[in-house]
Parts: sequence; structure tokens; C-alpha cells
Amino acid sequence: MAVVNRIYLFSRISITPKILLDPINRVCGGRRFDSTSVSSDGEVSNSSLSTTPIIRRTLACPPEYKRVQQAWVENLNTVEEQKLGLIDLHPDVFGAQPRIDIIHENVEWQTKYRKVRYDHTKTRAEVRGGGRKPWPQKGTGKARHGSIRSPLWRGGGIAHGPRSPQTYFYMLPFYTRVHGLISCLSIKLAQDDLHVVNSLEIPTDDPKYIEDLVENRNWGPSVLLVDEIDIMPRNITAATDSILHINLMPVYGLNVFSMLKHDTLVLTMAAVNRIEEKLLYQLNRPDFMDVTKKFMLNQNG
Amino acid sequence: MSFSGKKGVDKAFAMLRTLPRVCLANVRRNPGTRIKPTRGRAQHGGDKHGAGNKGSGQRQNYMRLGYETGNNPFYLRFTYEPYYKGHHLRREYPPLSLLQLQKMIDTDRLDISQPLDLSVICNTGLYKIDPHHKHFGIQLTDEGANIFKAKVNIEVQWASEPVIAAIERNGGVITTAYFDVHSLWAIINPEGFFKKGEAIPRRMVPPQDAIEYYTNPVNRGYLADPEKISWERLVLAQKYGYQLPVLENDPDYAMLTQRKDPRQIFLGLEPGWVVNLRDRCILKPTDEQLKEFYRS
Repeated sequence: MAVVNRIYLFSRISITPKILLDPINRVCGGRRFDSTSVSSDGEVSNSSLSTTPIIRRTLACPPEYKRVQQAWVENLNTVEEQKLGLIDLHPDVFGAQPRIDIIHENVEWQTKYRKVRYDHTKTRAEVRGGGRKPWPQKGTGKARHGSIRSPLWRGGGIAHGPRSPQTYFYMLPFYTRVHGLISCLSIKLAQDDLHVVNSLEIPTDDPKYIEDLVENRNWGPSVLLVDEIDIMPRNITAATDSILHINLMPVYGLNVFSMLKHDTLVLTMAAVNRIEEKLLYQLNRPDFMDVTKKFMLNQNG
Repeated sequence: MSFSGKKGVDKAFAMLRTLPRVCLANVRRNPGTRIKPTRGRAQHGGDKHGAGNKGSGQRQNYMRLGYETGNNPFYLRFTYEPYYKGHHLRREYPPLSLLQLQKMIDTDRLDISQPLDLSVICNTGLYKIDPHHKHFGIQLTDEGANIFKAKVNIEVQWASEPVIAAIERNGGVITTAYFDVHSLWAIINPEGFFKKGEAIPRRMVPPQDAIEYYTNPVNRGYLADPEKISWERLVLAQKYGYQLPVLENDPDYAMLTQRKDPRQIFLGLEPGWVVNLRDRCILKPTDEQLKEFYRS
């Protein structure tokens, strides 16, 4: 696929094409687990291990000096968890520095940027009347006034009131958003809230199946299931339709707010590939200046 | 503590494993970054709001900027300051050192099995040209000439003698070529130019003050006589004291001797053609008058 042809170059690490051409089963340094081993619970029948192939995953551009992250691949077609393999995850996406402040900025942005206020008040110019000076400047014992609709007056205009429609749109810098996503994914993995499944196929469209599954595996009450494209299998769509806290999402909808709102994040293998491909590209693209230029403030000429 | 020996990201993850789940309720800014929005009221920036008492300061009735209360002000004393006179006619060539070029080649930003020119170097993203600022192309500087090891076929816009020597010493070929502003916009962002759907223009000849440079074989100008260039290669080799590699014996001879036509902007594409990126095809003019025009 196109990913293999790109040469990813991180600013501090240089990767030559020799590494891309190395055989697939080169050993990454510092790995604690052998990726070919699959440990299973005692209750799971051995017949499942002998018939289904062990799921592996090799990184297209493995990092030279960082330890890879790893995650079990589980199944969704039984209530009990069955481990189908152990896959490698790129540390730049799933093992990035967990920046809580960047995550907060992203959450703040997501809540504010589409906010529109519709409340409205009239200024002294818009309130009906008030063109004439109510009484002469001097002579009457009264205070001096120019208009009956000034903000000082009852029934007068509002000086600094809300003006409809008031928008709070702003764009967070591009790489703040990218780092928000990688921080969030890394935190989910570190706190055992990230699960990878082979696919979203389930045997029934009964909501109880999903509830039993989530209960059995100790997944958080709210679950976000992410697949690559927005067309999901029929059974899972029907089953989760009535459950408001278990939601389906395509990769293009992945965002920091949703990942924090839902306790557990479940990604399919296809979604993991797509997310990694997209985020690694954004982290290593050579024309990043052209992308960030759009969101720079105070550009003079 | 279980994370005392760990560093960096590992420490952060080890801490996170013991801390409560990160959720919407417990994310916050770094301490000190939240500027509380406060209004200027009373003693907190209020009262006179920094405007002082009476006078033009409080009444916002200032003198014009530069006014010196009647005497001849500084900004009017000097009637003639010709610092930028003719600046719009001066060409700039932002420098690119041989050291940077070698680094780009070593880190696989550039593929030296193909000829290098302005478009390839701009596509790396490490070198930028802005025609709005009167930039006309690459000036190859001699920083790193002593360590330059690559054999390249490179086309730049300005090069000095030691630079030419450094490239030819390694068996490479250097050409200096001129691009007028219209061609420059096309070559620095080829994808953007093709997306416009315009026909590739003919490259214009250099202006009066540049013609001498680009017709001079000493500078390896693209308008110079190739035989004289060969002669100058020998002369330079003897001057700098290196053995001139024989290009004919080189396996990459075809690639190294690849050169653009003086009217050509892109290698492999002729003026008049329209490149269609969406349908992945090239549209060529069929009218004889058009063909004659673009060939001239």
C-alpha cells in the first residue's frame, strides 16, 4: 500500500530505506514479550487455538530507538474473551508523551468552536426613540442628558450586551490537535482502556449480548467501538442502537472528547492500521509548514 | 515507588497505571496558563484605567506620531534616502550550501539517481523559494565543499567556482539555468501548477543583466556552448588540482548528461502541454500554429 512507499523521517531520527527493505521478521529491540506466543485462559478450549491462525502485525516503518507498544487482539463473537494474537503498535502513535494540557485544550476547543449564542440586546442607537435632547443643558435643576435611551436610563440601550449571532469559532493549531489524538490513544492504552478486536461481527442483534459481553470482560460502562469505514455490520448496529452509552464510530470521527467521554475504546484491526497510517503521515510529512500556515495568527503579508 | 527508575514516557505510563482513569472531569491546563478574564473595576485596573489626569493622555487627543512640538521633525529632515531604490529590479538567490545538499542526499530526502533541479529540492520541504520576495532560485554555496561526496546532475540558478569544482570533482554535472517569474511559480510547486490546468509555458530568456552570466561557460550557463563548457571543466580541474573523471565511462552517463532545453521547465514535459492529474493523462496541442509557437 502507499504507506510503504513513503519515507517517514522524524526530526530526531533518520530512517534509511535499507531498514524498509529488511526482512519482515527482524527483531525490535527491548521487547518484553515474544509476539508469536498466545496465552489463553484455562477455560478457553484448545480447539480454537489449533484452528484459527495467530494474528500478527508488523510495522511498516518500525522505530529505531523506541520500544514498540503491544496489545492483545480479542474477539467479539463470544461473550467470553478469546485472545487471537498479540500485535505491535507504533510508539509514536500509541506510546507518545501523555500531555494532559494538550488534551484539555482539545476538549475546550471541541466544546467551544461550534458554539453560537443567539441572545441579543439593543444598543442606544437601536432602541426606539431617544434622538432629541430631553431638556436643556443648563437651567433646569436636573442632571444633563443627551438622549432618553442612553444606558444610564431605564428603558435605554444596553452598552456591552450580547449581540446575536455571537460565534466562538477558532481553530486549534494543527499539531496541537494531532498531539491531542496521540496523547489520548497512548493514555487509553496505558490505562488498559484500549482493546483491539479482529472485527465487529457478532452472532446476534440482541442488545443483551453486547451488555453481557461488556459486563463479562469488565469493560467500562461506556464503550466506543471504532471501525475503519462508516458502514458497520448489521448485527452490531442493531444491538448497540438502543444502548446509548455504547457507540459505533468510523476512523474519521475519532476525536479526543469522545475518547474521554467513553470509558473503553475498542478498535478493530483495520481501524488500528488506518489510524496509525494517518497519524504517522501527519507527524512526519515534509510539507508540514504549508499545513500549519493556514492556522497561524497575525500573518502580515 | 514503582516508577522511580523509569524515565520519560515510561514513567508517565507507570504513573498513569496507578492514577484514576483520565476523563473529561480531571483534565486541566498547566498551572499558570489560565488567564482569568477580569474586568478593570476600581482598584483592579479601574478608576482612570491607566490614562492619568487631564491632558491629551486622558482626553485621547494626542499629537501626531513624529511631531516634535514645532521644530523640524526627524522624519522630515532627510528628503532623500535611496536605500531601496531599484530593489524591485534586483534578483535574490537564497543560499543552499553543499553541506545541506549532502545531508539531504544522505538522509534520502533527495534521489540522486535522477537529475536534481529546483522542483525536486523544493519538494523536500527543507528549502523554500518565495517569488514574492524577488527570489529567483537556488544559490549553491561552498560551505561543505571539502566534504561533498555525491555524484549528482544538478541544475541551480547561481554557483561560484569552488562549488562547480566540488561537484565536478566527484564526477557530477552542474548547470546554471534561469527561470523567469512565471516559470518559477510553475517549477517551485509543480503539483499546484498542474492543478490550475494551464498549458506549460515556454521559459523566457534571461534579462540583459543576467545574459552574460548564463552564456558564460565558466559558470556552466545553460545558454553556453557545450564544447566550451567541456574545455572549462578541464581548466577548472587543473586549477583546483583534481583528476577530471571521464563522464563517458560512467554507467550513469545518460542520466548525467540529461539537460533541459532552454525553453523547457520540466524534464520530460514540453511547453504547450497540459498535465491532467485527475485523469492521469497529458493533453498536447494539435493546432499547427500553437505547436509552432511553443516550439519556438
